[in-house]
Amino acid sequence: MHMANELLSIPVAAGTLAIAGAGVGLVCRKVRRVVTSDKLALMGILGAFVFAAQMVNFQLPAMPGTSGHLVGAVLLAIILGPHLGTIVISSIVIVQCLIFQDGGLLALGCNIINLALAPSYLGYFLYKIATAGPFNSVRVYIGSVLACIIAVEAGAILVPIQAALSGVLAVPFSTFLITMIGVHLLVGTIEGMVTVAVLGYLKQVRPDVLVNALPGNVRLSRKAVLVTLAVFTLVAGAGLSLLACDLPDGLEWTYAERPDDPDFETIVSNNDSAIKAVDNFQSKYALLPDYSRRNSALGETGNNEMAEAEVSAGWTSFAGVVGSAITMAVIWVTAWLLRKKTVTANCDAKG
Amino acid sequence: MHHAHIDKFSFMDSPVHRLDSRVKLLVALVFTAMVISLPGTSPGILACYAIGPFTILVLGKIPLRFAFKQVLLVSPFVLVLALSCPLYDKTPVMAAFGPWLGRITVGWMRCFTIIAKFIVTMLALMALVSTTRFSDLLAALQRLGVPKVLIVQLGFLYRYIFVLIDSAHHILRARESRRLRNLGFKAELKIAASMLGSLFIRSIDTAYRINLAMQGRGFDGKWRSLSKLQIRSCDVFFALTAVSFMLALQFFIKPVLQ
Repeated sequence: MHMANELLSIPVAAGTLAIAGAGVGLVCRKVRRVVTSDKLALMGILGAFVFAAQMVNFQLPAMPGTSGHLVGAVLLAIILGPHLGTIVISSIVIVQCLIFQDGGLLALGCNIINLALAPSYLGYFLYKIATAGPFNSVRVYIGSVLACIIAVEAGAILVPIQAALSGVLAVPFSTFLITMIGVHLLVGTIEGMVTVAVLGYLKQVRPDVLVNALPGNVRLSRKAVLVTLAVFTLVAGAGLSLLACDLPDGLEWTYAERPDDPDFETIVSNNDSAIKAVDNFQSKYALLPDYSRRNSALGETGNNEMAEAEVSAGWTSFAGVVGSAITMAVIWVTAWLLRKKTVTANCDAKG
Repeated sequence: MHHAHIDKFSFMDSPVHRLDSRVKLLVALVFTAMVISLPGTSPGILACYAIGPFTILVLGKIPLRFAFKQVLLVSPFVLVLALSCPLYDKTPVMAAFGPWLGRITVGWMRCFTIIAKFIVTMLALMALVSTTRFSDLLAALQRLGVPKVLIVQLGFLYRYIFVLIDSAHHILRARESRRLRNLGFKAELKIAASMLGSLFIRSIDTAYRINLAMQGRGFDGKWRSLSKLQIRSCDVFFALTAVSFMLALQFFIKPVLQ
């Protein structure tokens, strides 16, 4: 079942339609020069294959009476490569919307992003990272299961985000998000297992298919991988940080504060003046104390005892994004400083 | 094997079937956007909006039972979403509907609105799909700017869905006629995987043969089609009627009924 129109508001629908249109347009333009006429029939057939494959059911292990079936998106991305896979899955989503009415017209943009753009690229990247190096069937199998799970989860996470951006959710955002993540964990696992099984069968019968011998497999640049990971980190930082609980974590619970016991005395009391000076310094100059906005100017101590200033969600997300950016900058600088100095051959033209 | 596909009515003939597919597609899109953007309080205005697709379906001679059955088939997800509203939003509000006056919660009102909007937009989509041949729809999409690669892909996909579904039916029937008992998850998974794998290989081989047949008849990658899309006076009339209907609802009737 794909997203229906009612989950979206007009601005979000228009925005996602624009993003999906731009994304698919870019992919088509990139592929146009690579795809020759003999691959066109193959792509069409593989799209129809996904439809037909969704009819093959098998009994699920724990639940009698229910059966699962292959969704097939990540399998296509692994075999065809992410660009062609995206095109084929987008066409499947469009046909499902127009012919089978699975998903609304306005939600087409969202459905294409959630089912074609995000899972294809994510699934392909993860599969490639997991299976880099010499061919090892165990790694291929584990890589594909993980790639399927994460790709399916990525699409599932985007649905509550898009619905929440539209402001149509009656259920609380975190409930919806956790339900979607939970259900799709099961779906992704089953999908991963079926993909692995199909890959195993193909390895026995037609191993040339698996070693990227199928036409249309386009190589990806490292830059693309990095950009994708960066975007994903941003989204995760902004989105998941909203779910971060502001109750004390395990360590703090042990020694510092207990929300259900206001008279709890801190176990540790340290009156060392040096420690106090460092604490003071830190609270004066921390930019985003406790992942939220400072309630005093930089350079002054505020009273941050139970800041009643409500932590608006915007600041938490901002803190998440800024924190990610700073972390990435630190990592990058560290890697740059630690890079191996390449020995440049000095050809002295002597003699 | 004969398939009852959803667009079986698109090969009939009626005034609606003869309209230009670009106009129908754009009107359906704008109509859906307007219905979705309605702030949800009054069912009266939604009923007025429903007149539009209803008229198209009737003029296009599409049986209404068929249309409603299709809407029912795709409704489970939206029903779950709609029924979750009354559970989460329990602020009571007074509601009046004709002679009935009662106290229900805001959640129930949202539930009704979501279901009503879903029915209206799905009817609009049905009206579009049942009165337009898929090839005409593809031509319309191409004229509206969808990339050529995607159009060709959609054309092939539509053509071969039914061929491959037939293959899958054969494989499934062969399996059923050899099944004596449930063999447990691992064995069933292996069997399903081999069915899928053989279907996949069959697909690749079919594609190879189709490609050879096309090349043998001079296919060079350019898709040439015979259907010429023309805007005629009936298309202009239809577009103007639709636009004035929606404008009238938006500016005249909505303030009254809201």
